Amino acid sequence: MERNLKPTGLVNLLIALAAAGLGTYIARSTASYADEVVSVFLGLGFLVALFSYFQMRMEAREKLEKLELDELAKSARSTTLFDGTDAEAFPARRAREQFERWLVPAFCLVLLVLQVAAAWWLGKQVLNPDAREVRNSLPMMAAFFGFLFFLQFLPGRYSVNVARLEGQRLLQPAGSYLLLGAYLSLLAAAGIVAIHFGHSKVDIFIARALCVILALAAVENLFTLILEIYRPRVRGQAARVLYESRLVGLLGQPESVFTTAAHALDYQFGFKVSETWFFQFLQKSFVWLLLIQSGLLWLSTSFVFIEPDEQALLERCGKPVGTTALNPGFHLKCPWPIDSVYRFQSHRIQTFTVGVVTKDDDHGGATAENTIVWTKSHYKEEFNLPVANKEQDSASNTNAAGEKSAPPANLITASVPVQYQIKDIVAWARNHANPNELLERIATREVVRHLVSVDFFEFMSVGRKKSAEALRANIQKSADDAQLGVDILFVGLQDVHPPVSVAEAFEAVIGAQQTREAKTLAAKGEATKSTAMAEGEAQKVKDTAAAFAVRRVAEAGAIGAQFEHQMAAFDAAPTVYPQRIYLQTYAKAIAKSRKYIIATTNAQEMIQLNLEDKIREDLLNLEIPAKK
Amino acid sequence: MRNPVTFVVGLVILLIFGSISFLFQVRESEVAFLTTFGKADEAVIKPGLRFKLPWPIQKVHRFDARVHNFEGKFEEAMTLDQRNILVLVYVGWRITEPQKFNRSFPGGVDDAKRNLESLVRSAKNATVGTHNFSDFINTDPAKLKFDEIEKEMLLQVAGTAKEKFGLEVKSLGIKRLGFPESVTQKVFERMKEERQRLVKQFEGEGDRDATKIRSSAERERSEKLADAEAAATRSRGEAEKEAAKAYKTLEQNKELAVFLQKLASMEAIAKERTTLILDQNSSPFDLLRSTNSLVRPAGTK
Repeated sequence: MERNLKPTGLVNLLIALAAAGLGTYIARSTASYADEVVSVFLGLGFLVALFSYFQMRMEAREKLEKLELDELAKSARSTTLFDGTDAEAFPARRAREQFERWLVPAFCLVLLVLQVAAAWWLGKQVLNPDAREVRNSLPMMAAFFGFLFFLQFLPGRYSVNVARLEGQRLLQPAGSYLLLGAYLSLLAAAGIVAIHFGHSKVDIFIARALCVILALAAVENLFTLILEIYRPRVRGQAARVLYESRLVGLLGQPESVFTTAAHALDYQFGFKVSETWFFQFLQKSFVWLLLIQSGLLWLSTSFVFIEPDEQALLERCGKPVGTTALNPGFHLKCPWPIDSVYRFQSHRIQTFTVGVVTKDDDHGGATAENTIVWTKSHYKEEFNLPVANKEQDSASNTNAAGEKSAPPANLITASVPVQYQIKDIVAWARNHANPNELLERIATREVVRHLVSVDFFEFMSVGRKKSAEALRANIQKSADDAQLGVDILFVGLQDVHPPVSVAEAFEAVIGAQQTREAKTLAAKGEATKSTAMAEGEAQKVKDTAAAFAVRRVAEAGAIGAQFEHQMAAFDAAPTVYPQRIYLQTYAKAIAKSRKYIIATTNAQEMIQLNLEDKIREDLLNLEIPAKK
Repeated sequence: MRNPVTFVVGLVILLIFGSISFLFQVRESEVAFLTTFGKADEAVIKPGLRFKLPWPIQKVHRFDARVHNFEGKFEEAMTLDQRNILVLVYVGWRITEPQKFNRSFPGGVDDAKRNLESLVRSAKNATVGTHNFSDFINTDPAKLKFDEIEKEMLLQVAGTAKEKFGLEVKSLGIKRLGFPESVTQKVFERMKEERQRLVKQFEGEGDRDATKIRSSAERERSEKLADAEAAATRSRGEAEKEAAKAYKTLEQNKELAVFLQKLASMEAIAKERTTLILDQNSSPFDLLRSTNSLVRPAGTK
């Protein structure tokens, strides 16, 4: 029985168009990533339905043409009116062949490009999702998707079943896409419901999974195109519809998995595995099993395990159950969405740092470096915090000329780690939308508030411990006033120093103090040495004088004694003794002197003597070693 | 019932969509109201499971009733004594009248933040302008008006926010204070100069102390040497006195003593680098005279 494909194709096309339009509208209205990916699938389904509808029309024209020609051939068999080539005789067939030869691969190529582009663009978004605002109309949008399910499911199912008949294969691609679109609509509705109940991550997971399917469909499309080049063409054999995706078909008809699996098992084991009772039971009861499993999964939400480092809040239809939090251990509750549990790591000690912005790769703050010096920044950013200055408070705000001077305050940088623990989970979770941020702001405010009231030098030196304790108390008080429900465990004052550009000047003061000490110590050393040497010198002077005195006295005694003997000699030889002693002494005295002896008898003669030293003294005094 | 699976699945789907359409939850941390054909109900819905007619008849508008907080911009403002400072303020606020909030801010919380930030900026600049710089930073607790300034800002913001926006501003705090870049550089320069003054002071003190110590040591040395010289001089004088006793012997033959002393002096003088020009009359070179072949007795012509 020959069916006319065109009306069914047209219905599929219109439904695909409606689904794509409505899906796009919903995706734009909701903040759901899954909706965006589903709308892409619906759009691709529309394109496939449109293209297959054109192909159906061409095949219908070809059939009509064939019928007309058959009729004419019967009535005018003997005439030559219809003799000629196939191209002249069957223009519709030739058009259909050209269509399948060129336009179908071209369409597959377009489809491939669209799939790749959509997978790339959407994949980037779902891998790095932004925090999107939750819209109010989500339940209604979920209902719309429910409507889309019913809209696509029945025509899709009909088309897929009809496509199994001979000559109806062109209904398969659009039918598969409609069925897939129906299931994806349900999935999108589930994603919207998840967002509505505050589980945005579910939506992102669905979107990621759909992006993977989109990418797989693109890969399949590419392989189909490549394999099509090498496919053997047998005349008269109907070619498979190139743009029909097996993946889409499989996902649109999950029950066909069983058929495929059964064929594979039968082939592999050599007997009819698919006819065993277990396989038959599995095939018949699969949906029931799935339903029971889903029911058990739903019932499993009626108990909860709280981890040792956690506490949780239990809400029944939005209202708190009890006044206290759930402590670690096992707890029973009504299943979701009647009861909901919100977990918090209340026992964990949490830390943030005020005054600095840590580097992205700096997990341990400044502790990542072993040496912390004032002249080098150890953070991504260090805030210059104004701090009061007693000296500047008393100084005049303007100078003598009335010109503005620098503000009467100093600047300081400090990293202030604050460690805290949640002590009242109810207050922490229910009083503030973003309690972490508020606590950090309160702590920063308290640090600034403290610094503007303390003296710079006192804070830098003796007042640090006192300041840290005061800060802890103030932050705790402010947090309590804000009903944050936290216990401030520790507030540290680390890396407290003048800004990096001024730090060198501060270090120079330390250097100057050391220089002062060094100069004093050097002078003291010199003084000690000088005093010691002075004692020595004084002693030397005294000893020299004493030696002189002894020598002088002894010498005088010796001279006197010698003179007595010389007088005796002189008395004995008054002429010879003086002459002799004179000549002895004279010879000895002038032995080394330069001597000029003038031996002329002419007393009027003028003699010129050059007494200039021509030879260097050291050379003159040089002793020539004697010959050996 | 030909296919119970379809019936069960349909029932579940019907239950889900029915509950979504007719029921809604309001959490303890939320505040909500209903609109019927767009007209807002006056009542604020309490937390729990509530019934509503499906869209488009009734629609739920829900908001987070917890305290939100945000901080504005680190903005420059001028104090009463004409000093420029940067002030960053944070605000904690919550929705108290959801209907008014919804009317005022169809864009939601972000829209409210933008409008509230304008209020806060205005109040901040106005308040900063009425206070001296010393009200913000001062070591004297009596003069410091940090907390009062915050309260003034909060008062200005809270009234308008409650009346116009349906919000309660719970808290307002100055998160950061700072100076503009040019002023910051001036502060740095002043801090450097202060340090430089100390550097010079310490260096001067070092020189002063060192000079004092050296001077004192020099004085001590001089005193010791002077004492030693005096003792030495006394010792030499006594020696001369003792030596003079021995010289009395020389008086027995003065001529011989002087002669001997002359010889000793000549020997000492002619010891180093002496050039002598002698003629034949000088003894013993008188031997060179041809007419004097014999050695004459000394002292004769």
